[in-house]
Amino acid sequence: MTKSDVLIVGSGAAGAAAAWSLSRNGLKVTCLEQGRWIEKSEYSHGQSDYELARQSEFHKDPNVRRWPEDYPINVSGTPIRPLMMNAVGGSTVHWSGHFPRMRPSDFRVRTLDGIADDWPLTYWDLEPFYELNDSMIGVSGLAGDPGNPPRGVRQTPPLGFDVACEAYFRGLDKLGWHWWPSDNALISEVFGHDRSACNGCGPCDIGCPTASMSSAHVTYWPMAMGNGVDLITHARVEEVTVDENGSARGVVFRDEAGVRREHTARVVIVAANGIGTPRLLLNSVSSQFPKGLANHSGLVGTHLMFHPVGFVTGVFDEPLDAQRGPLGGLMNCQEFYETDLSRGFVRGFELQLSRSVGPLTTANGGLSGVPVAWGAGHHRALGKIYRHAITITVMGEDLPEEINRVTIDPQLTDADGTPAPLVRYRLGANSKKMMPFAIARAQELCEAAGAVEVLVDPLVQDSGWHLMGTCRMGNDPERSVVNQWGCSHECRNLFVIDGSVFTTSGAVNPTSTIQAIALRCADWVSQNFQDLYA
Amino acid sequence: MSERLFNAEQLALLTKVQSQLIPAENDMPAAGSVGCASIVHEFLREHEELYELVLRALDAIEKSTGDASFIQLTSEEQIEILRFVEKSAPEAFAELVRQTYNAYYTRPEIQAKLGIHGPPQPDGFEFPSFDVSRLDRVKARGKLWRDA
Repeated sequence: MTKSDVLIVGSGAAGAAAAWSLSRNGLKVTCLEQGRWIEKSEYSHGQSDYELARQSEFHKDPNVRRWPEDYPINVSGTPIRPLMMNAVGGSTVHWSGHFPRMRPSDFRVRTLDGIADDWPLTYWDLEPFYELNDSMIGVSGLAGDPGNPPRGVRQTPPLGFDVACEAYFRGLDKLGWHWWPSDNALISEVFGHDRSACNGCGPCDIGCPTASMSSAHVTYWPMAMGNGVDLITHARVEEVTVDENGSARGVVFRDEAGVRREHTARVVIVAANGIGTPRLLLNSVSSQFPKGLANHSGLVGTHLMFHPVGFVTGVFDEPLDAQRGPLGGLMNCQEFYETDLSRGFVRGFELQLSRSVGPLTTANGGLSGVPVAWGAGHHRALGKIYRHAITITVMGEDLPEEINRVTIDPQLTDADGTPAPLVRYRLGANSKKMMPFAIARAQELCEAAGAVEVLVDPLVQDSGWHLMGTCRMGNDPERSVVNQWGCSHECRNLFVIDGSVFTTSGAVNPTSTIQAIALRCADWVSQNFQDLYA
Repeated sequence: MSERLFNAEQLALLTKVQSQLIPAENDMPAAGSVGCASIVHEFLREHEELYELVLRALDAIEKSTGDASFIQLTSEEQIEILRFVEKSAPEAFAELVRQTYNAYYTRPEIQAKLGIHGPPQPDGFEFPSFDVSRLDRVKARGKLWRDA
């Protein structure tokens, strides 16, 4: 048995940021990661069959990828599949890097719009940590967006825009809608150690061989390990243990050889994502916590939010070659972000310019969800869209509902026999009104941009990247799992700092907010460390 | 070496089927003429579940031809059989199509015909830098977010 000041479960966006922050304040930090380091040599971008990685070793769905370190997820009860990467850096190992911040109104939806709950913190509480996070990892973009609060100069300039982007800019200007170059966790100039500027190769979603993506394994982890953090890979945590006083004692995990070990710590931080974190807490049953750790309210696992996503793809006569260049949201349009009740729903959505994919992914239906037809005419059908299409990602705010939840599957287990999660989710009434409106706006944009045909996937099944809400943050212990510092209402040395703590989802990609929350919570743990275990 | 192997007849059938799935057109060759059957064969050796699916599709195709061999049918008859199997064994047939697309569109000679001259790395692609004057209209609208 070994002991640390702070033990972190999970090395993804949140765990990495917290490990760096805590260690720079002199705390002895250990992080347990069930996955491993992904080596540069594993990326397929230098091979002609690089697109196959999306279907196999770098598949975003752990149920398909099935690495030894992945755990199965029962998804029979959800139209959106939860996606994740179990590796050092977590899901930032392969993502789009789209890095918007939530807006101030996102934290006050009860006050402003009369729905869901307000967060126990404000945008302005998080703002210094958004700034700190950006400065640590490197963000490309442009300050001055009138759609968002002011922010500091971005670490690198906006990524380059080509003829494909220009088509949509013309459309947006024609419609008079808001747009702005997105903040991206993708550097356009050299930043940091051993990282190159993005060279626009394209398939960001299967990893970044140039380390241009500001992923946790190339940003925070080298710094955290330089501070002395002990990162243990292939360490699969089974439960968080408690002492006789009901305080977190540590964790039991299986090491690479499958041997069960215990690691104790004065403070335990869980950062295993919006599925893995409730799974771990619900599996941590004891006499003091018979419903699972930190689950007196019965809310651990509830209020799961994904962000409903649609793809709307404009097909143009002229070749755009949008398969070249960074895949993720180079531009965002937040014209419809804030509530306007005349639309028939509350809250709003974002339109992201998401470029395109190579011929194989195009043929297999990567743009519209439907493969290109086989048989006579196949080449004409493919040629019509390949190099000629560019996709708008439509992403709506997902309101928290208690019935959308992660529980423990009564039968399914991982390879070590630890019970696996069961996800039940259905699209809420507000989303059902919002998404058709949002899709129609994206179609309108495509047409204004000059598209001759528009392909629509109204609800993308493989879009559950954003795992939020399952250990929600709040002031009321009966209506939330953790407080504004990520600290459990029931167990003062137990913290949750990942997307699980989101009270509401906003309508933007969550990683910058996840990392800002992690830094803020870690800062508070450092300042109050002595009081947490005494 | 895995036991999961297509025999010569199955490989011949797969080749013929693939040439119906992606037939030749203009300067694009048929899938069956560029070695896609062998590529699929090699790939499936290591993927048991996918192998079973593709095998099921091939079996369904063979069984749908009655006493005749698929290879001996006319092109129109072959297409009719494939349409039938697409409906009667949709999951297996979809996998057969996906594996064929996978093999075809990862061939460098096919990619070259589509204008792709090498993988994305190490060269990447150059992009013009962003012209910030493009944002003048948006800036002129002023603040668009709600404070809270």
